[in-house]
Amino acid sequence: MIKQLIVDGAYYLNTSSVYQKKKLFFYNLLENSNYKYKKYFDIFMITLIFISVAILIREVKSHINDSLLFFNNYVVSFIFLIEYILRVWVNNSISKIIINQNEYDLMLGERFNISKALKEILKTKFKYMISFKAIVDLLAIIPFFHQLRLLRIFILFRVFKLFRYAKSIQTFTSVVTAKKFEFFTLFIFASIIIFVSSVLIYVMEANNPESSIETIFEAIYWSVVTISTVGYGDISPVTQEGRVVAMFVIIAGIAVFSFTTSLIVTSFTEKLDEIKDMKFINDIAKIKEFYLICGYEKVAKEVVKELSKNSKVIILEEDLEKVELAKKDGFIAVNYNPGSIQSYKKLRINIQTQVKAILCLSHSDVENVYTALTVRSFNKDVFILSILINKTNRNKLKFAGVNEIFYEKELVGIIAKEFAGQPVAFEAIHALRSNYNGVKVEELFISDRVLDSFNIIGDLNNKKYRIVLLGVYKKSKKRFFFNPIDSMILETGDYLLVIGNTVFIKEFDINLHKKVK
Amino acid sequence: MREKTALIFGFNDYTSEIEKNISSEYESVSIFTLDKDDENSFDLSDDWDDLDNRFNIENCIAFCILEDMAENIFLTISLRDTFKDLTIVALARDKESSDKLTLAGATKVLPSTQTTANVIVEMLEKPIITKVFHDILYEKSALQIAEIEIQNHKCFDNKYPSDIDWSRNHGIIVLSVLHENNTREFIYSSKAKHHMIKEGDIFVVVGYEQDIKELEKLIGKKR
Repeated sequence: MIKQLIVDGAYYLNTSSVYQKKKLFFYNLLENSNYKYKKYFDIFMITLIFISVAILIREVKSHINDSLLFFNNYVVSFIFLIEYILRVWVNNSISKIIINQNEYDLMLGERFNISKALKEILKTKFKYMISFKAIVDLLAIIPFFHQLRLLRIFILFRVFKLFRYAKSIQTFTSVVTAKKFEFFTLFIFASIIIFVSSVLIYVMEANNPESSIETIFEAIYWSVVTISTVGYGDISPVTQEGRVVAMFVIIAGIAVFSFTTSLIVTSFTEKLDEIKDMKFINDIAKIKEFYLICGYEKVAKEVVKELSKNSKVIILEEDLEKVELAKKDGFIAVNYNPGSIQSYKKLRINIQTQVKAILCLSHSDVENVYTALTVRSFNKDVFILSILINKTNRNKLKFAGVNEIFYEKELVGIIAKEFAGQPVAFEAIHALRSNYNGVKVEELFISDRVLDSFNIIGDLNNKKYRIVLLGVYKKSKKRFFFNPIDSMILETGDYLLVIGNTVFIKEFDINLHKKVK
Repeated sequence: MREKTALIFGFNDYTSEIEKNISSEYESVSIFTLDKDDENSFDLSDDWDDLDNRFNIENCIAFCILEDMAENIFLTISLRDTFKDLTIVALARDKESSDKLTLAGATKVLPSTQTTANVIVEMLEKPIITKVFHDILYEKSALQIAEIEIQNHKCFDNKYPSDIDWSRNHGIIVLSVLHENNTREFIYSSKAKHHMIKEGDIFVVVGYEQDIKELEKLIGKKR
């Protein structure tokens, strides 16, 4: 009966969208560094830590207000306790363990073994609780430190919690961890030197009444201070034998010091690209909308140059030289293969929400087809545009799921026709498109806010702003209405196509969004 | 006077596309290649006598579309040196070759990379404008773009282009005016205030065919 209740409860929690949403929210808040609100939570926790440490420092020589002490010992501790419980909760799923055990037992035709499930739950939770970070979290919340004055210093455990929130500390830890074998070797080497030199200096100096080294602890202290190249000078050898030992320790100290420095520098140099990459990927994840350019060649360069004026653009290019070239041109480029699904996963790009359009601009139809197919294999909706190099490959690009194809030679032919047919008209349109003399053609969106003040075309009063209204694109009818009559009703989603001076258009647009009624 | 013959120099993928698009605009289109065995061959020397004898150059437009940019620039400079008044449209790969072709004397340069990039960007950033202009230029819609030369300026009685309510009085929209001295102005730019309508001005207008015809009757002729 109880077992059935537990299994039912586990299934209920596992399928409850409210429960799962809440758990996911707390998981993101505590563990997901890409979650947009995590930084605010981290800043809040860091502030609490610094307040705690500041109170501790102040308390050493001054009296602290009781309410501040209460805040430090109970309020902060309580917040940390909640955080600790939440971390233990989101670390893994109890309901999933119960369900897995139940399904496993059912498969074997046995009864649900609750003790096994319980054991597994305790094992996974305990594994987390004995991790370094969890222990620090636990020590940081115990308010009894306040009662035992000696233990008050353990409030500094809260400082260790900074590891959780400060990314740079995590980066440093990962750099050091990457070279743990080298650091371990160095540690053993330094330990042997300290051990040998401590024993030697103790043997040489301890019986000399003029020497300040009288215990083995003082000998070890002297060795550590000397080998670290600090050399306080409070303890120094007085016998000739002791000084010979000191010379060896000093030389060994230089070796240890330089070895440590070079190790850290090398680790950082090796990890630098990785760190930069990680930062870059995080930055990309934060961009709301961007164009994704696949391949960086001549056309791509021109396209990116133009698109960058108003939008964010990211270039994916497999060739490292081209990536460097793109970076030199001042664009954001990454050395990833646009034809590989892994690239999009590693970059954590959300094609559905972040990408406005994918532009396949490689000068190879093969690569463009491959890229388009790759994207289509995991996203059916994103708009894909591609250039076509050889017109016989047009159908292949269509089959690959490209929405819009541009064939350079055809465009040149069309423009030649425009020029040959009506050169003055062609120049006029071309000039309008390229913002000639500050005059341009622009699309202005009709939002609900605009409609609050302007319901019909006649209300717009565009002539006052020296703006020509070429027409209106009606979203509801998916049709362009040239030179609309004054009584035409405006609707949300419509676009006004206007021609005029850039400044006047801007003024006109501002006026549209002002509430005049 | 509008040219009647198109001379295309170079035989490549661009040739077929240009020929396909412009053939309806000219009485004849001739393609010249660098292949010596071809009947219509040419070389990059300055000897254009044969061409001069075969065609009335005054009525010709030349398209220089050699894929090798150095050769294309040389061809353009060679044609310009021989035929001062010939309209030369030249193909350029990039901005650099575009500038050189202009210096070499090309009347109009078609920068292929730049054009493709511009069209792509426009399609992405201003999709409605792109579609509307595309339809107007290729006459897929009832809307048309036309050049109208003013022959009867008296009906405007010394008015400025921006003083007239073109859209309400004539059902058309005037995009720009090309004056006699070849300066172009958009009528709603601030400079347009200084130039009264004169005979010989060319108006670039957008409108429905009937409205354009009405305007032609009133002020001049369609070019």
